[in-house]
Amino acid sequence: MHIMEGFLPSPWWQLWFVFSIPVIMFGMYRLNKLVSERRDLLPLLAVAGAFIFVLSSLKLPSVTGSSSHPTGTGMAAIMFGPAVTAVLGVIVLLYQALFLAHGGLTTLGANVASMGIIGPLAAYLIYKAGMKANINFYVVVFLAATFADWITYVVTSTQLALAFSSQAGGFIGLLQGFLVIFATTQVPLAIMEGALTALIFKYIIQVKSDALVELKVISQETVNKLRGISA
Amino acid sequence: MTKMLDDYALLSPLRYTNNWLKIGVVGFGILMGISSQSPLVPFSIAICMSLATLIFGRVPPKFYLKLLMGPAVFVVFSIIIIAFFFGSGPELFGFNVLDYHLGVNTGGLSMAFLVFSRTLGGMCCLFFLALTTPMVELFSVLKKTRLPDSFIELSMMMYRYIFVFLDVAWCIKHAQTVRLGYHDLRTSLHSMAMLCSTLFLRSWEQGEKTFVAMNARCYDGKMMIFEEKRPVNFSEVALSLGYMVAIVGVWYVSNGMLEVSLW
Repeated sequence: MHIMEGFLPSPWWQLWFVFSIPVIMFGMYRLNKLVSERRDLLPLLAVAGAFIFVLSSLKLPSVTGSSSHPTGTGMAAIMFGPAVTAVLGVIVLLYQALFLAHGGLTTLGANVASMGIIGPLAAYLIYKAGMKANINFYVVVFLAATFADWITYVVTSTQLALAFSSQAGGFIGLLQGFLVIFATTQVPLAIMEGALTALIFKYIIQVKSDALVELKVISQETVNKLRGISA
Repeated sequence: MTKMLDDYALLSPLRYTNNWLKIGVVGFGILMGISSQSPLVPFSIAICMSLATLIFGRVPPKFYLKLLMGPAVFVVFSIIIIAFFFGSGPELFGFNVLDYHLGVNTGGLSMAFLVFSRTLGGMCCLFFLALTTPMVELFSVLKKTRLPDSFIELSMMMYRYIFVFLDVAWCIKHAQTVRLGYHDLRTSLHSMAMLCSTLFLRSWEQGEKTFVAMNARCYDGKMMIFEEKRPVNFSEVALSLGYMVAIVGVWYVSNGMLEVSLW
């Protein structure tokens, strides 16, 4: 979910930039290192970013009339790691603000924090922990993508509640309000995105698993095992 | 295919005005709006920028209104929450839900109104930039900043591929729709997953091809772009300055008045 331009009052939008900028700098440092080692990665990362943008501009099929968009960041975090995802997230969010009128420039810091940093980081941690615990690959992907989506909304609700409670002191009440409206309505949509991401990985593994092996997302053994099950 | 703001920007009559002037005007509006404690300033910014977009940018008013409606859902929900949970002052109205008292007071309502006006002002500024300045022009601005080259290269390549993949995605989606791929929730989930994974594989292959093609043309990690000189007219500067002075005036008067009334 994108916080609109001008929505966050004065100390808060600067504070979120203070939070996001070091992470982005670190991401850029990683990106520079990665690209100078393997120059063929730059076009690949570019198409991955474009892919996230297109994914997030497609409407997710949804139960009621309300429409939602997949965030796509969970998937990117699994494939490229959280640092590079943060950099891709900044560019995607900037383009979304300028092409689709989602989000804004002063709220870019807050949006990057929720959608580009904390959500993907959660996805990445869940994915790594799940793979280590030897749970089924698709289940892990489902969990990682679901929680990435949902945590993004929880973080956004918290950001909004923090920004507007400083004077009145009603942080808990405000947080409850935002969570009820944004985070609970998002639960079915988060599950949808999780299922969608797991299905996407299933198709990719069936058609061209070497792409994933090359990115070191999964090992060849896991692919063989998964193929053995699905065949 | 969905119309993106960039399409309008490429055709805009303001496309060839100086980029820095446009960015200055927009940045000024956004910062003034967000720092104001009175809703008057963001509202006047919203009116000025909308008029500029509609008259100088010749954006169809119907499209512009539809654009402003887009973020409305998010804003309305959030404002209702702020109105209910924020602030102090005499209560205007309230009701009980399961032993839980909900009420709107004057403080909350004025805060909600202020946030609404700020969002409106900010959105109008952003739309002005988005509808008059295509990304191609903004790249030359980005090049002037001290961001790392790889970041700028990445954004330029992403920009190109967004349009390629949108086209592919829409073709596949149309093909799936005419084959009843979206007739209920189950099939649409499967169709969507098929679309996304095909898109991912296509983009992967495209990335490999691009690398080969660019290497063959001696790509060394830096794309040169041609930057045209865009002189600033006197009338443009005069108009922007007039606008800025007016907004600063409104800012002082309204925020000053606020202090007096609080006193």
